[in-house]
Amino acid sequence: MKIVIIDYGIGNIRSICSAIEKVGEDPIVSNDPADYKDVDRLILPGVGAFQEGMKNLLQSNLLKILSVLVLKRKVPILGICLGCQLMARESYEFGHCDGLGWVDGSVIPITAKRNLHLPHIGWNDVEYHNPSPLFLNIPNHSDFYFVHSYYVHMPNYQYVSAKTSYGNPITAAYRYENIYGVQFHPEKSQKYGLIVLSNFLYSV
Amino acid sequence: MLKKRVIAVLTINDGILFRTRNFIPDYRYTSNFIDMWSIDELIILDVTRPDCGNRENFYTALENFAKNCYVPLSVGGKVTHIGDISTLLHYGADKVVINSEALKNPDFISQSSKKFGSQCIVLSIDAKRNNNGIYEVYISQGRIRTELEPTQWARLATELGAGEIMITSIDRDGTLEGYDLDLVRMVSENVSVPVLACGGAGNWEHFYQGFVTGKASGVCTTNIYHFSENSISSAKNYLLNKGICVRK
Repeated sequence: MKIVIIDYGIGNIRSICSAIEKVGEDPIVSNDPADYKDVDRLILPGVGAFQEGMKNLLQSNLLKILSVLVLKRKVPILGICLGCQLMARESYEFGHCDGLGWVDGSVIPITAKRNLHLPHIGWNDVEYHNPSPLFLNIPNHSDFYFVHSYYVHMPNYQYVSAKTSYGNPITAAYRYENIYGVQFHPEKSQKYGLIVLSNFLYSV
Repeated sequence: MLKKRVIAVLTINDGILFRTRNFIPDYRYTSNFIDMWSIDELIILDVTRPDCGNRENFYTALENFAKNCYVPLSVGGKVTHIGDISTLLHYGADKVVINSEALKNPDFISQSSKKFGSQCIVLSIDAKRNNNGIYEVYISQGRIRTELEPTQWARLATELGAGEIMITSIDRDGTLEGYDLDLVRMVSENVSVPVLACGGAGNWEHFYQGFVTGKASGVCTTNIYHFSENSISSAKNYLLNKGICVRK
């Protein structure tokens, strides 16, 4: 299986690599479009600010090949944390910024509340709404590791695979056709995180 | 709901895992033991004395830990430049812990958080009561005063972009007598970011107090005897039985 982790200069790629290797595959990390030929699975990592992420993606020379692979050839892609946000239509972090627009969603801040520490950091349980194959063999309400202040709000609730609760309910995972997004870090969520990655490789 | 976190802190001296107070190397533990399924997070600190050892040894140790670590890994010690943060992230850190450099140059916090994101920057504060009995921030293993009050410094740091605060009681560190709960609560109640309690944990009741009285989001333990798989599970069962929501 050919797995490419998209290298656009952002994200802890090493952790994702280790996790994919633990699951039993050898991923390629690349920013060269030539390496994306015949890819079976794409992973879009990312940590940090939305605008910085979009800037790096736009400068990376990968958007053309990624659009073809994701939108035309329907190669399954998994966006992790900032990665899942970048695939949305837009973000309101530090002002308005367009995203890739591959899924219909807006990145908005977690609603601040008294006694609610932000960023949302730590293990939180994920409740299924319309679970995708990513969650096969994972019990409902399992804990995953989150670290973020913004999330993807999806107007079409049917695309929300799972949510978590922090102040209010927030999207934990979504799926639109071949496009999967997880707000949590599967590569940092031990046993169940590794199963999510394994499911992405073998069950979608 | 968001769980409270139990976090193990490992101190590394020239690439070797050490026990803090006695500064004795602990060769029993290798990177393999980090595959501990109950711990929620790991913090690894380079405590090599200035001008001693080879920093490359730390990167090697970090790389080995990170390879088998499927929980978040925060790394600190000797972080003085943006380049240091990039390097640590490259070797496997998810978050970076900064301390002295932020005190010397608070703008380092804003630069780092702008570049890597607030969630990546943990500000570590070491504090104790000074001769007047007032809590004060210290550096250099508690030897040098800064004349800063911990809560004020913590608030400023979060305004500058720190995503988490790690508050360590210098006096309690290594004593196994429990956290300085007044210090922890003072900081937790006055900042909007998560606060991690550090320094003094000796038993599970201390963890409980850190959460309930200290209002911490996470409790840190540097006590190496807590680091067996059974210990952490047992700690979590204790906490669950007392009504604290932790990850099973």
